[in-house]
Amino acid sequence: MKAMSTKLKYTDGLKDYLRLDAAIEANVVRELKAHLEDKSRELIESGLSKKEATATATKLLGSPRIVAKQMYEVYSQGSWRQAFFAALPHLLVAALFAMRCWKNTFWLIGMLIAIAGSVIYGWCRGKPAWLFPWLGYCLIPVMAVGILLIYLPSGWAWFAATAYIPLALLVIFSVTKQTIRKDWLFASLMLLPIPIVLGWMLALELEDKLIWHEQLHEFAPLIALSFVVLALTVATFIRIRQRWAKIGALLTLEIFILVIVGLGGKSAIGFGGWLILVLLALLLLLGPALLERKIRESDRKRLKSPNKSTRRLLSIISARRN
Amino acid sequence: MSYERELLKGNTDALLLCLINHQPTYGYRIIKELEKRSNGYFQFKEGTLYPALHRLEKAGLIQGKWQRLPSGQERRYYYMTPKGQKTLAERLTVWQDFATAVALIMQPATG
Repeated sequence: MKAMSTKLKYTDGLKDYLRLDAAIEANVVRELKAHLEDKSRELIESGLSKKEATATATKLLGSPRIVAKQMYEVYSQGSWRQAFFAALPHLLVAALFAMRCWKNTFWLIGMLIAIAGSVIYGWCRGKPAWLFPWLGYCLIPVMAVGILLIYLPSGWAWFAATAYIPLALLVIFSVTKQTIRKDWLFASLMLLPIPIVLGWMLALELEDKLIWHEQLHEFAPLIALSFVVLALTVATFIRIRQRWAKIGALLTLEIFILVIVGLGGKSAIGFGGWLILVLLALLLLLGPALLERKIRESDRKRLKSPNKSTRRLLSIISARRN
Repeated sequence: MSYERELLKGNTDALLLCLINHQPTYGYRIIKELEKRSNGYFQFKEGTLYPALHRLEKAGLIQGKWQRLPSGQERRYYYMTPKGQKTLAERLTVWQDFATAVALIMQPATG
């Protein structure tokens, strides 16, 4: 019984750090389990007790964290094609502003179809890494509703905002939570454009329609540039193997884009506003890591509980994860 | 010690390909074979073997297939692919040339 729990503890530790596609993850865990069985058998034959043999076998296999890290680096690098496809939604937005087509209905409908099609296709194909930048754009309708609130009469705007903000947060939170179950870094990748879009919205002074249109024409090249850098950020993320380097690339390039937004937005944002944007970016990039830890802790607690229906529910969640 | 580790690191892929080319095999047996064939010189860290095997598989040089033994135990056997055979042949040629050149310098013929 004790030997079984040592093995389980090892494979659970491994699963915590692997963060790979479900099929690959299952293969890796199955293979290492088979190795542990072989090694334990050899050690038992040499005279160790079952408990000692399992403990020695897991020790010889090495830290689950290191094995998982090395395994992650084998599979974490996407191809150039995947990198391009992941960067594509940001490139389309960049083209929208570079060519000043934001009033072109065909272009906008085309983009909506591309986003919806890619999200459905990616969702059905096991949620690969390239899906998440596209998924991020599915949150745009939530933000668009927020923009429309500005045009309501002032009393109504406040009233609508009190209902809208919790609802919008709920939608963003539930989508993020689902993404975190796969890997928190994908949630960061998905939320990446939010501070940039908010930054440009602040810079455009949306309350006044006349100023807004003029500024949009003035800022268009810089908006396009910021989304080109965003596309490069995503492509770099997909191509890098090491996890720490992926996090570093997201943080550095996101701050760099916010510098473009801050300098391009002139005095409209101000230093205080810019700092708030940077803090928001850090929160959206690193917050999912904390949330993931909380989710895993609560999952573990629920798994330990004797309630059978909860266990069944968790196994369904785990199966749906990928 | 670190020199030895570097040498092993640089040749891990070729050693693994060589063993798998000789006979389709699985992780645990690869470790045992390496130890046995090298008279205990190569003592592979068990946890690092599997990422190396998966890296070769991802590169298309080997292919892993699950097999169930009569005892009910499952093992993932690795098979050589044509791409792997070609790569191994290239590496063996490079290694033989390199070893010959090193030997000529480090162990010059006397007389």
